[in-house]
Amino acid sequence: MMTSVPPRKPWWNSKKTVKVIRSYPTFPSLNAWEKFRGLLPVDGEPNPGVGLGVEEGLLCQMVHSPEFNLFPNSVVFESNFVQVRRSRHWKEIYKASNTLALGVTSSVPCLPLPNVLLMARVKWHHGQSQTWNRPSTAPSIILKRILPLKFVELQICDHHERILRLRTVTEKIYFLKLHPDHPETVFLFWIRLVQILQKGLSITTKDPSILVTHCLVPKSLCNPCGKSGLARKKPKGPRPSESLMQLMAQGESEALSQIFADLHQQKQYSSRRSKEMQINTTSSEKTTPSEDSIPCTRDLSWRDAFTYGEWERENPSGPQPLSLLGTLAASSRPRLSLTGVFSFRGLYLDRSEEEIAPRSKPESPQH
Amino acid sequence: MAYAYLFKYIIIGDTGVGKSCLLLQFTDKRFQPVHDLTIGVEFGARMITIDGKQIKLQIWDTAGQESFRSITRSYYRGAAGALLVYDITRRDTFNHLTTWLEDARQHSNSNMVIMLIGNKSDLESRREVKKEEGEAFAREHGLIFMETSAKTASNVEEAFINTAKEIYEKIQEGVFDINNEANGIKIGPQHAATNATHAGNQGGQQAGGRLLLSPFLAASCPVEHALCPPPSSFVLS
Repeated sequence: MMTSVPPRKPWWNSKKTVKVIRSYPTFPSLNAWEKFRGLLPVDGEPNPGVGLGVEEGLLCQMVHSPEFNLFPNSVVFESNFVQVRRSRHWKEIYKASNTLALGVTSSVPCLPLPNVLLMARVKWHHGQSQTWNRPSTAPSIILKRILPLKFVELQICDHHERILRLRTVTEKIYFLKLHPDHPETVFLFWIRLVQILQKGLSITTKDPSILVTHCLVPKSLCNPCGKSGLARKKPKGPRPSESLMQLMAQGESEALSQIFADLHQQKQYSSRRSKEMQINTTSSEKTTPSEDSIPCTRDLSWRDAFTYGEWERENPSGPQPLSLLGTLAASSRPRLSLTGVFSFRGLYLDRSEEEIAPRSKPESPQH
Repeated sequence: MAYAYLFKYIIIGDTGVGKSCLLLQFTDKRFQPVHDLTIGVEFGARMITIDGKQIKLQIWDTAGQESFRSITRSYYRGAAGALLVYDITRRDTFNHLTTWLEDARQHSNSNMVIMLIGNKSDLESRREVKKEEGEAFAREHGLIFMETSAKTASNVEEAFINTAKEIYEKIQEGVFDINNEANGIKIGPQHAATNATHAGNQGGQQAGGRLLLSPFLAASCPVEHALCPPPSSFVLS
């Protein structure tokens, strides 16, 4: 199991445009988390993501509905946003009853990172709560667009106001303010997502030229000293590349789950802490870290103790869904003439907002 | 809103031929002279009525730029109809039809109805492709053909609706297996309710002028049935 992570540059040395103070989400407080938990059903195993309105929400329900039946086996991470524009203060563009549901998902569940962005327009009934997943009266929701994430740049625009800046490669820019009904934790997850999309994950790579000797191997293939059998063995079977992909995906799926895993970790962390208080243990190994030193997802051994998030549940070795957008997988990279940078991460690297030339419009009028 | 069928359409063709404008004219009845370059898919939907049945058109407007071609290919799957659009004022967009058609044939189901559209018919003075050429291409490749103007709305309704009529006829002829979602046709709650009633009406009862022999037949029965109550609700209309 991998525990080493390449060191990251401190944020103040970074040239990248996203300015995030903390590398990892810090939760408002565990008391706040308990408050969210209070919203969840008591019976069974509640899914905190559902309770927070970021999983199995309206957008997810729509794309998974028979009408679209898109990405049926992929989890959708989503939230409601209000579209705003810059002026002296941020101003809402539409009436309060109109929100925008923004979500990310994977065209194929085994992909290590989400690769699809979903946008839908939601029109709520008067006085209706605009956050929760299963309102008594369904609002009107219309799927507007599906964008490959590699053609989209997501940034944290205003942390205090909880505003995301979404820019497409065609220079269409949206300023999206997280709906006030969402708790602060939800915005922290979006920050986390932006970070992951921007920097990737240290244990995630699709580049075959990068030799990976750790981590991308399922536990069953790891020897006790943590070295991978994969590096020494040729993949067996008639379709080695597929086997390799499956193996990699299986390992990588741990990494891509970070957003959702954070949710589950918090839940586990909370319950573990309460258990520890009950038995009054003083073992140093089991000492609960302080809030500021939560190891989060870097320390995967720490994560092993916790419930797997939705992103981790897929089984790449099983039958893959016939995703309608399957070819959107990260391997396809269009050679777009209007910009030189089309690696999604490349959009961020060392390029300020002003450095990117405006995109040209189509020459002829469109009728 | 309840519907009997949902047809998935895909709009394809070179960049700048007016695909998004056609969609906007059809769904919103308005024309927008400058439109952002489409990336990914933009969606539109509209209800139409054919043979007294409510049909929902779910329209996928795709990117025309060559760079996005590999992605566009993934959207063909499950489309019942395609609008293949060229610009009558740009010969190159007509010349590229063969490539688009090959893509469409290769990545969609073989029964997909394809409507060839020569758009921007209002720009007669700048015409580079004769109407007869479009007709000949359509005849040669078994397509339906129309010239349209998204700007003036000329023939826009007809283009979308005639495509739906063709699909509907194919359903009636049994060409389309509507239970196979890969064909781009989904049975809506209206039709499902119809089927449920049909199942209960077996045993020689006649409903809507058609004798139903089995629930299986009822499932593919496209005829309007007055006895069937509309469904109470459908969440995502």
